[in-house]
Amino acid sequence: MASPQMRVGARVRIANRDERRLSTFGRRAAARLLDAERSGQIFPILLEEIVVLGFARVMVAGVDFETGDVTASASIGFPKNLLQRFKTSLYAVDNPLIGVLHSLQPAVLPSGPSRKPLYCHPILFRARTQCRETERPPERGCLAADNQQRRRKLSLPEQVCPTCDLRAYCAMVIVELSKGTAERDLAELRDLIELANRCLGRLFKLEHYYDRMTDIEKLRRAEEVVRRDRDRLNLIIENVGDPIVVCDSNAKVVQLDPLATELFGAEKDPSRDPHRIRNQAKLDAYISAFTFSFSDRESGPLKLFDPATRTEVEFDARSGKVYDERGQVAFTVTVLRDLTAVRKLEQLKVERRLLEMEKFAATGRLAGTIAHEVNNPMEAIKNAVYLLSGKVSNEAVPVYEILKSETERVARIVRQMLSLYRNAEQVDNVNVNSVVEDTLSLFSRQLQRASIRVKADLGPLPPAVGSADQLQQVFSNLVVNARDSMEGGGTLRVRTRYINGADPVRGLIVILLGDTGSGIPCALQESIFEPFVSTKGPKGTGLGLWIVKGIIENHGGKIAVRSRPGKGTVFKISLPVAR
Amino acid sequence: MKAKAKRHTVLVVDDEPAVLLTYRMILDQQDYQVLTAGSSAEAMQALGEHPVDLLLCDLSLEEQQSGFEVIDFARRQRPLVRSVLLTGYASKDVSDRAEKSGVSVLFKPTDIQEFLATIKAQLRISDEQNKKIG
Repeated sequence: MASPQMRVGARVRIANRDERRLSTFGRRAAARLLDAERSGQIFPILLEEIVVLGFARVMVAGVDFETGDVTASASIGFPKNLLQRFKTSLYAVDNPLIGVLHSLQPAVLPSGPSRKPLYCHPILFRARTQCRETERPPERGCLAADNQQRRRKLSLPEQVCPTCDLRAYCAMVIVELSKGTAERDLAELRDLIELANRCLGRLFKLEHYYDRMTDIEKLRRAEEVVRRDRDRLNLIIENVGDPIVVCDSNAKVVQLDPLATELFGAEKDPSRDPHRIRNQAKLDAYISAFTFSFSDRESGPLKLFDPATRTEVEFDARSGKVYDERGQVAFTVTVLRDLTAVRKLEQLKVERRLLEMEKFAATGRLAGTIAHEVNNPMEAIKNAVYLLSGKVSNEAVPVYEILKSETERVARIVRQMLSLYRNAEQVDNVNVNSVVEDTLSLFSRQLQRASIRVKADLGPLPPAVGSADQLQQVFSNLVVNARDSMEGGGTLRVRTRYINGADPVRGLIVILLGDTGSGIPCALQESIFEPFVSTKGPKGTGLGLWIVKGIIENHGGKIAVRSRPGKGTVFKISLPVAR
Repeated sequence: MKAKAKRHTVLVVDDEPAVLLTYRMILDQQDYQVLTAGSSAEAMQALGEHPVDLLLCDLSLEEQQSGFEVIDFARRQRPLVRSVLLTGYASKDVSDRAEKSGVSVLFKPTDIQEFLATIKAQLRISDEQNKKIG
């Protein structure tokens, strides 16, 4: 409804009555307004001063530029329920109040809630002069000055300063008039509100700049933290010691660390040497394959030419994907590990093992030679001792017995040493389980006689590379030891298993051989694999486990023992097999 | 002492005189007819002169002569002769070859009981073979 509005503005002539009183009021109000230091103090002062002017009911309705809502924010004299109900919107163009608001000119509406005319005075952030911020190029205008000249509309997107991002405030001061309100009183009211708006505008701008300064300071501090973090991260990346390549979701290189730059050259360098270009091509192929694959992580070998040493170097490339918040690949990170050192170490290990094997073989040969030389005299002595049996005088019998038993002992040692020498056989694929079974069946009657139960638990195994005869010798030795340790009977447990292990190329065959026998005395456990160490006294040669260890190590394997005196002994053999 | 059984003739070949002597004495005790030879030449001569039932031969004789050659020679003389190879060490090759040609192997230092049992068993086989032919 287009309500009849009575314009009040510069055109209204102020009646010249009791000017002094009014100006006294005006001066006091101005001083109070100028005294305010926070924008929030302005409206309370304004309302109080309006009441002092003789108006009973007054309120301020603020515009929320986010939502367009217009709600009462402060009042004096209006009933509370009315204030609570007072809620309209910038878009409610039918409402005469909103019409006044959009006009940005004060107006008197003929009848308010209590059938009395209402004086409505919209106020908007404005200033007579442009703010100093606009003097800095580029010039983008000033919202306050534009509002003063009414170059902008009262709409949400318009009421933002192009220079300093300040969002304007907008409100309406509503004063209930009595029937006899004079023109002069209205003019005074208008001047007071305009003055309050100027004060408010200045404080508002000041506060905005203050807030911005605080924000900038915060931002600067945050940036400082980010920069420190980034510097530290860069330092880490540069000192990892492995080349690192970061690519985007299209497998295009985004960042290379200095070591990677060495390998691939700077992307835009036109004078890159062909090796680097070839390296780059290999890397691209690898990273493309990874980026467009479904796996999160990948590793693979990458042979690259190292320009520093001018040699081909084998790298182990390890890559991972970095996802963005939508779950799509943002980056891929690839770390290249130089395998030269690892390979060298492996080579060294192999060489050391070969050396050990050669040493073992040489020891074996020496033992064999000695044994062989000793063998024939031994044979003659042994035969002679046999021939003497029953022919020695009674007092010489103890001497004869010593001769006999010690000769037998030497014979045993010689036999063991020769077995070492015999182990010069060719290597083949060996089914460890069947070797174990053969050994057990070979000793089955002996074990039965010694009342030893055998519990074999043989898991499926891949073939091992080695000598079946040597392995049989190992198992025979261990079975005989177990038998000897269980004089009153017991249980012999054999278990074989295949274990994948951590090594990517090799698995392990693990053979456990346990008895419930007398165990190995603690003092001997450390040295049990050394030559001439025996738990069996004069019956043993002390060579059996030494040979066992030698054979297992020849096969690249390991042997360990755990024993508790009186409880039993477990030997654990692990043999490497190709996966 | 065994009237009906004819005494078996055993030829022992070893280049170590002490070993040879003790073998001879042990086998004498067992009432075998024992011949000894200290070299392959002696052994071949003895094989030519006497019908031998069992040949006990050391593997390593003089240079370049091995027990196998003596055994081969003996078999050419008497195809059914039994033989036992005595050796201090046997590589896979030797034991394979012995197994292939039906020669049993005894490792030095031998166990006397095993030594005598092997000889007895070989002679029993020899007797059975003779019976079949005879």
